[in-house]
Amino acid sequence: MIDHLPVLLVVLPILGGAVPLVVSLLHERAGWAVATLTVAGQVALAGLLAWTVETSGTVSYEVGGFAAPYGIELVVDGLSAAVALLVAVVALGVLAYARHAGPRSNSFYSLYLLLVAGLTGMSVTGDVFNLYVFLEITGLAAYGLVASGDEAKSAVAALKYLIIGTVGASLYLLGVGYLLAATGTLNMADLAGKLGSMAAYDSTLVLTAFGLMVGGLTVKVALFPLHTWQPDAYANAPDTVSAFISALVSTVSAYALARLLFSVFTVEFLSAVPIARWALLGLACVSVVTGSALAVSQSSVQRMLAYSSVSQFGLVVAGFTVGTPMAVVGASVHLLGHAVMKGGLFAATGVIERKTGATTLNGYAGMGSRVPVTAGAFSVLALAMVGVPPAIGFVGKWFIVFGAVKAEIWPVVVVLLASTLLTLAYFARLVERLYFAEATIHADEQADATADVPADATVADGSGRAVSTGMVAVVVAAAVLAVALTAAVPAFEQVLNETLPQLLTQ
Amino acid sequence: MSGEDRPGLYVESTIIMTTVRVVAPFVLTFALFVMFHGANSPGGGFQGGVIAGSVIMMLAFAYGIDSTREWVDVRVVATLASGGVLLFAAIGLGTILLGGNFLEYHLYERFISHATAYGIELVELGIGGIVASVVIGLFFLLAAGYGHAVDTPEAEE
Repeated sequence: MIDHLPVLLVVLPILGGAVPLVVSLLHERAGWAVATLTVAGQVALAGLLAWTVETSGTVSYEVGGFAAPYGIELVVDGLSAAVALLVAVVALGVLAYARHAGPRSNSFYSLYLLLVAGLTGMSVTGDVFNLYVFLEITGLAAYGLVASGDEAKSAVAALKYLIIGTVGASLYLLGVGYLLAATGTLNMADLAGKLGSMAAYDSTLVLTAFGLMVGGLTVKVALFPLHTWQPDAYANAPDTVSAFISALVSTVSAYALARLLFSVFTVEFLSAVPIARWALLGLACVSVVTGSALAVSQSSVQRMLAYSSVSQFGLVVAGFTVGTPMAVVGASVHLLGHAVMKGGLFAATGVIERKTGATTLNGYAGMGSRVPVTAGAFSVLALAMVGVPPAIGFVGKWFIVFGAVKAEIWPVVVVLLASTLLTLAYFARLVERLYFAEATIHADEQADATADVPADATVADGSGRAVSTGMVAVVVAAAVLAVALTAAVPAFEQVLNETLPQLLTQ
Repeated sequence: MSGEDRPGLYVESTIIMTTVRVVAPFVLTFALFVMFHGANSPGGGFQGGVIAGSVIMMLAFAYGIDSTREWVDVRVVATLASGGVLLFAAIGLGTILLGGNFLEYHLYERFISHATAYGIELVELGIGGIVASVVIGLFFLLAAGYGHAVDTPEAEE
């Protein structure tokens, strides 16, 4: 049983995803229950897997019993186990949110579980082509989920996401083809050994493969010039979906990028080909600055959060590219922390919109007293994102900056510090509106658009716009986690140091 | 778009109906041929499934989309999709129960000779079922136009 955990982790949500389709013939609303059962099982399996990795090191699994470089291998080290666990936990949290917020169709939950399967598959695979397959499963499920909103805007956003996302995935596949041509293998560990010996690091073939694969993945991560799908997809999807994909899809793509950098191309490639490292660092830094600048200039809160992701992922990629052990740990911590914080922030915007109708920066004015619990959690999450200690956002950024200082890459240090100020600029403005500004939307004015809900109650009166306890609980749980996860950082760092020695020792 | 505001596009034609009736069994056989040859030659569940799905499309052109929609029950399509996934998973998980890894086909050798070939072919059949049902579902969704799209329970897998 324990041996089969990596593959069970992928098979379970796929199996669960097939069930709602059949059940829909018998029962209209069984999707949520099926999804919750499946994801609860997923959390248990992922927890067990993480525990196994923590106690006995990297786990690998040969699918079909085919020996490793030829068959598909699943490899789970500290980082992949953490990402797989994050996927399962966030999926469960968002389900608690979706219980009341909908969408409620059975096919929605099929897609939801398919997305969980794709994301988990991306986290545990040890094969670059298999990674592409899961990247496509993730992408297709995410397009479908974005389109599941009732408004025409969601369909347009999904179409845009589909076109740009497919181009990204195709670039990645093209890069895989180049790598296969250069080395004749698709297994990550095997590739790491053959690159540099069979094909020189600076040969045109390898460089092109690197450019295509990294370029394809940065589309999925949504770094600056390639981020254009992302604000529309996040802002126009139903808020359940926004919370889910903003927390996980880019996160797992960034994880895949890290895996590519360290397990396929390795740190030696980055030092042997400085231009590749500088190009990626440059892209990341531009993304940090432009993402923040665009976020400051948004009036819609959800779009602001979306652009904030562009900037934060710039930070994460910069951390990975700096490549010193400390920066890598920092980037991993920030990657996971950002997922919790951003998912929580999007869930909070959903709650605030349902309760008060506020969606813009001006609309948020004075809402601190109307929705005290949610606004409080929102502020905690926002400050955690800025990097106020003792939140997880602080630890991640601190390690990244410290790693960059140690590596003496000063331009990156400057950008990272400036980015914190810019993050403060847009989040502080929002928190200031929430608590210290005169309200622009009053409870009596919004009766036409939303159900009137007493300011501090979390009643579910079934009007469809009301907020359930589960939804608020998810936001609060995210805020608590954003602070509490800091305590887990030393253990996480130790696991990373034990299971990723080849990438963390230089 | 669909029939209420203007007369339907469907024209009954004896030639088309007869041709489709003759050709359909052959196309379905060819679909199975392609699916079964996925193990050791070009072909497989994806291509075969699309061919199988195209049979329904041919029927729709010959006999009209609405009557085909009534004939092909949505339950059949949903069962085909889920059944394909469950078949694949059952074969994969069965080998774990027999003490091997996921999809380690040769462990079925104790029940049946050439287990690897049969295992792969069953998996291809499962994939074929999924692909065919998704193609059929997409075809009906597109044929329904925008207004009906909401209440069809097919997901794009």
